Amino acid sequence: MKGLTANRLIDGEVVFWNAGEWVERFADIEMFEDAAAAEAAEAHAKAQPTVVVDPYLMDLVEIDGVWIPVAYRDRLRALGPTNHLQHGKQAEGGKVVETLQHAHTAARSTGRINLIKRK
Amino acid sequence: MYRYDTIDKEFVADRANEFREQVGRRLAGEITEEQFKPIRLMNGLYLQLHAYMLRISIPYGTLNAAKLRKLAWIAKTYDRGYGHFTTRTNLQLHWIKLKDAPDILEHLAEVEMHAMQTSGNCIRNITADPYAGATSDELDDPRVWSEAIRQWATLHPEFSFLPRKFKIAVSASAKDRTATRIYDIGLAMRRGRNGELGFEVMVGGGLGRTPYLSHTIREFLPTRRLLSYLEAILRVYNRHGRRDNPWKARIKILVNQLGAEEFARQVEEEWAKSDHELVDLPDIELARIRGHFAKSFETLPARSEAFEAAKAADPEFARWTRHNLHPHKAPGYAIVDVSLKTPGLTPGDASSEQMELVADLAERYSLDEARVNYQQNLILPHVKLEDVPAVWRELKAAGLATPNIDLVTDIIACPGLDYCTLANARAIPIAQQIAERFADDEKAEEIGELKIKISGCINACGHHHVGHIGILGVDKKGEEFYQVTLGGSGAEDAALGTILGPALPYEKVAEAVEQLVEVYLRERKDGERFLDTFRRTGVAPFKEAVYADVH
Repeated sequence: MKGLTANRLIDGEVVFWNAGEWVERFADIEMFEDAAAAEAAEAHAKAQPTVVVDPYLMDLVEIDGVWIPVAYRDRLRALGPTNHLQHGKQAEGGKVVETLQHAHTAARSTGRINLIKRK
Repeated sequence: MYRYDTIDKEFVADRANEFREQVGRRLAGEITEEQFKPIRLMNGLYLQLHAYMLRISIPYGTLNAAKLRKLAWIAKTYDRGYGHFTTRTNLQLHWIKLKDAPDILEHLAEVEMHAMQTSGNCIRNITADPYAGATSDELDDPRVWSEAIRQWATLHPEFSFLPRKFKIAVSASAKDRTATRIYDIGLAMRRGRNGELGFEVMVGGGLGRTPYLSHTIREFLPTRRLLSYLEAILRVYNRHGRRDNPWKARIKILVNQLGAEEFARQVEEEWAKSDHELVDLPDIELARIRGHFAKSFETLPARSEAFEAAKAADPEFARWTRHNLHPHKAPGYAIVDVSLKTPGLTPGDASSEQMELVADLAERYSLDEARVNYQQNLILPHVKLEDVPAVWRELKAAGLATPNIDLVTDIIACPGLDYCTLANARAIPIAQQIAERFADDEKAEEIGELKIKISGCINACGHHHVGHIGILGVDKKGEEFYQVTLGGSGAEDAALGTILGPALPYEKVAEAVEQLVEVYLRERKDGERFLDTFRRTGVAPFKEAVYADVH
């Protein structure tokens, strides 16, 4: 399973793709089972250079019935920093946020090298 | 403090306007991200995990009240009300919006600040002894020379596209408070046989994935020849430094591949070719710069009865003075270290309110000066002894009177994976966990000097290689692990640490540090610091304690 994410150009906010729109909550992300559909969405996102920066597909894994990013880095992007729990998306709370905060398993850094190159 | 002249002011204001135009063009789609990225980086603007990060330059770590207040206001207005002071004595704001960045640069320009050369392959912000102009053990004020280098290096056309970034540190005391040995160029002032002042020139230090301490390529360079000699070094590096591989592009690689002797020979050859008079600053200009740093101190008795009485009356205050106060060159004055290392909080972070308070104290009690040091703390360099109790009370009320300078809880930590795109692992929570274990001031004092430094990746912004205990975050199959090194030092007894053993899981790190400290307390002899004991015993007893349960 994959999801599409990027940073919004104008303010750097982490955003997620859902049916042609960029949304701010990870809980609202669209999940792609089909690789071709995921790649098509990514291509669409890359054609929006004045809206987002560095869109990329991230791997998702199911934990406790909730799909969350595999890479720890992507989990932090979906949450916010762990030293200021009132900052970032985590401030809103909810089941998906809690699952992200407590998921210790199966993290890996897929795509990290490419991410670094892009930044 | 150095003040901009008209040309400086116009230039920095123009630069902010130029960036406004460039941001406008990027948002309108007239330039691509690929074209824009080097432009924003040249203005200190990175895109990180959660938002843009603006790294604001604080030349040689020197601030006045107006600058610090402006930083506080920017953090409150455009960020989340706090900022992070870095090991390069800059300030990072981690929640910046691209659309606001031009306004912020304009506000910075109003107080003679900017974010240029805090990124990119150029000569970065110059680091100097944070006690400059205040400590009794300096030969000269290193900020005079730092400012001369800053002016020379700012947008220097020949050195704006170096093979890699380039960092210079200047010290003028025997005690090294700037970590000169880990810099691309470290300059340590010495007095020559005839009384003339000069610099020992050290080149090729650096941390990262290939850590090196620098080599001395010239024992004594007369101060008046500083800029032409720097030019020669930079020219040799610019010519031969590798541009094909960013991991091998720093000058440390070139120096160590050529050998320090050959590198020095090439520098001398290059230097001999140049017309020094064209590059080196004339005395009149040096005198102009020097004039900006001159301070006059009141004639005071060396001892303040009010200060002594306050110490006698309050053990908490007395403890703080033992660790956070340092001797001043003027009788009746002291240097006050303001710790940004409250156990449980983020090392190097200060809220806008805290910055405002330090600005007020600087203005009222420290001849309008504050400093940032590479240990991520602030300093009030010129406080009268009789005012120290009042300063302490105000710092305490703001949560800024932790008595822990150079102690186990005075931990350096980079932002790590909580913010940084490059990081492999978090650094801040590790620092918080360790500090909480040693939060008892008495225990920390009993342990004595112990410098813990944590980096979230091999780029080593947290200086882990030169920590008495160094901690490096690594990524092991997607999990956060931490490699521990022992015996490093960034001071005058500089050394790179030795790896303790296999990397430890996140949950084990603070416990391991506690075990290391227990070994030290068990093994130490009279007057030994952690570092001294480690150097005497070697790694074995420490290793045994941490990995005992593995065997």
